[in-house]
Amino acid sequence: MSTSAITLTPRQRRAFGLLVASEIKIAIRRPVGLVVAVGIPFALLVIFGSIPATTRPDAKLGGISFFNLYVPTLLVFVLIAVGLMTLPQQLSAYRRQGVLRRMSTTPVHPSWVLAAQTTVSMILAVIGLTILLGAGAGAYGLALPHDAGGYLVSFVVLVLTATATLGLGLLVAAVAGSPQIAQALTAAVFYPLAFFSGLYVPLQEIHSQVIQDIAKVLPTGAGFNALHAAFGGHSPGVEPLLVLAVWAVGSWVIATRLFRWE
Amino acid sequence: MSITELIQTDPGPSVSVASDRSAAPVIEVAHLHKKYGATVAVDDVSFTVHPGEIFGILGRNGAGKTTAVECITGLRTADRGEISVLGLDPRRDRRELHERVGVQLQESAVPELMRVGEAVELYASFYREPADGRELIATLGLQDAQHTYFKHLSGGQKQRLSVVLALIGQPEIAVLDELTTGLDPEARRDTWRLIEGVRAHGVTIVLVTHFMEEAERLCDRVALIDHGRVVALDRPGALAIAASTSKRVRFTPTEPFFDELLSALPEVSSVEHHGPEVVVAGSGDLVTAVVLALHRAGIRADDVQTETANLEDAFLALTDETTHDTNGLTR
Repeated sequence: MSTSAITLTPRQRRAFGLLVASEIKIAIRRPVGLVVAVGIPFALLVIFGSIPATTRPDAKLGGISFFNLYVPTLLVFVLIAVGLMTLPQQLSAYRRQGVLRRMSTTPVHPSWVLAAQTTVSMILAVIGLTILLGAGAGAYGLALPHDAGGYLVSFVVLVLTATATLGLGLLVAAVAGSPQIAQALTAAVFYPLAFFSGLYVPLQEIHSQVIQDIAKVLPTGAGFNALHAAFGGHSPGVEPLLVLAVWAVGSWVIATRLFRWE
Repeated sequence: MSITELIQTDPGPSVSVASDRSAAPVIEVAHLHKKYGATVAVDDVSFTVHPGEIFGILGRNGAGKTTAVECITGLRTADRGEISVLGLDPRRDRRELHERVGVQLQESAVPELMRVGEAVELYASFYREPADGRELIATLGLQDAQHTYFKHLSGGQKQRLSVVLALIGQPEIAVLDELTTGLDPEARRDTWRLIEGVRAHGVTIVLVTHFMEEAERLCDRVALIDHGRVVALDRPGALAIAASTSKRVRFTPTEPFFDELLSALPEVSSVEHHGPEVVVAGSGDLVTAVVLALHRAGIRADDVQTETANLEDAFLALTDETTHDTNGLTR
């Protein structure tokens, strides 16, 4: 699984480019990822951005609007959708159908497929995040970080969260023996993680210390807390960043250990 | 000259392309052994393949053919034994091996939503000196399916695409596993012609099959594999002759007789009765010996039928004992 761009020959670069291009075509032909990771968050953004009640500052939410609170949740949602709703299903289907086996008979290692899919996932994440931030700030008055430091922290948080969710997707693909199991495992991981990003109820409205404590150690809760702080002009502190880093590194290490190409 | 030009010049069935036995073997396998847990998949397999040969690996499902091929093509690590392919170690020199050896395996596919033309272009990019993909697609009669998604191809089209992908790197050796399984007879014959054409270009072919007819028609030499061992290795014709030493004669006698009349003959190994019919198994000039012995006893043999041996008989004779007596015969 070591595909370093530095060591690729021009021929290998071309092969990898074609592989990414074909994965992009497939992602357009079966647009699950586009719908879940781009379409749904964008629709939610438009809905909540258009309701006057949700865009007014709310004393119950600490004086900010529900909309400003909800956008960090949507950003985290994009990342769990990218990591969990497409990558594991696609990879376990490829393994089941013999796509990885077919590729293992060529000079190209099947890990290239994984690298190509990860690349496509990252492209998808960038599209989803850019649309949310662009439309949110441009059309609905989303409050963005106040300074360069806020942007930098937000960027780091997004990268770490994306790495963690992709790692979790990979972990699901590694332990799932079939696409059906991958589907079931995804659901078991996705919905709780979505809950702790504040998708159903804003975390600020849940007055339970247990829930708050769980949120702090989960990648979506930590990601949301850090983004919420950075967007509000505060420092998120080291803790959420550490939590995210542990998830990002841990999921990849375990997934790459467990992953089988056949 | 590209591979596809030569596939199109059909050498015809009468042209025999002699493989070069004097040249160094392209594949050498010695005492290959592989097990999965406690199950021995390949016990002890040795053979050599010469350049330009069509070499058959014949055996039942589960005999260990696919595992042997997976070890030879570097997809699995053998537990014991020596393997050399084009002078390379299949595991250590895996990438170089895959540049020069095209492999078509069972249970392998390209993504469902990839078009035929896209798959060929993509796979061509994996190799140092790829063949012209469009020519190869035309040669295999897939030009009308160029824009079809893989999941919409027929079984035969999928097989032909997998042949295209196995040949797209202009390999020196093509390993084809159960190539014609699931094809209709016409498509099968077309595929056979294609393989002969590929070989005419000098590509060495290792053909894994459980079809006797296919091995008999195509292969220069065949290794019969049973329970993970090579039980015979020879030209298909020679194997059939070897099997013919144990042949059968069926007839209906005009009168009953004691079995000893025939079983005493040196040529006869067994005598069985199936209703009015008698089946005699044995070797040598069996028919003459049986008919003469009956004649001396004043009995005539009607409806005499002899069963000529082919590769299938050789296969049955040389592999698992338990499969012999499906019709009550012993040999």
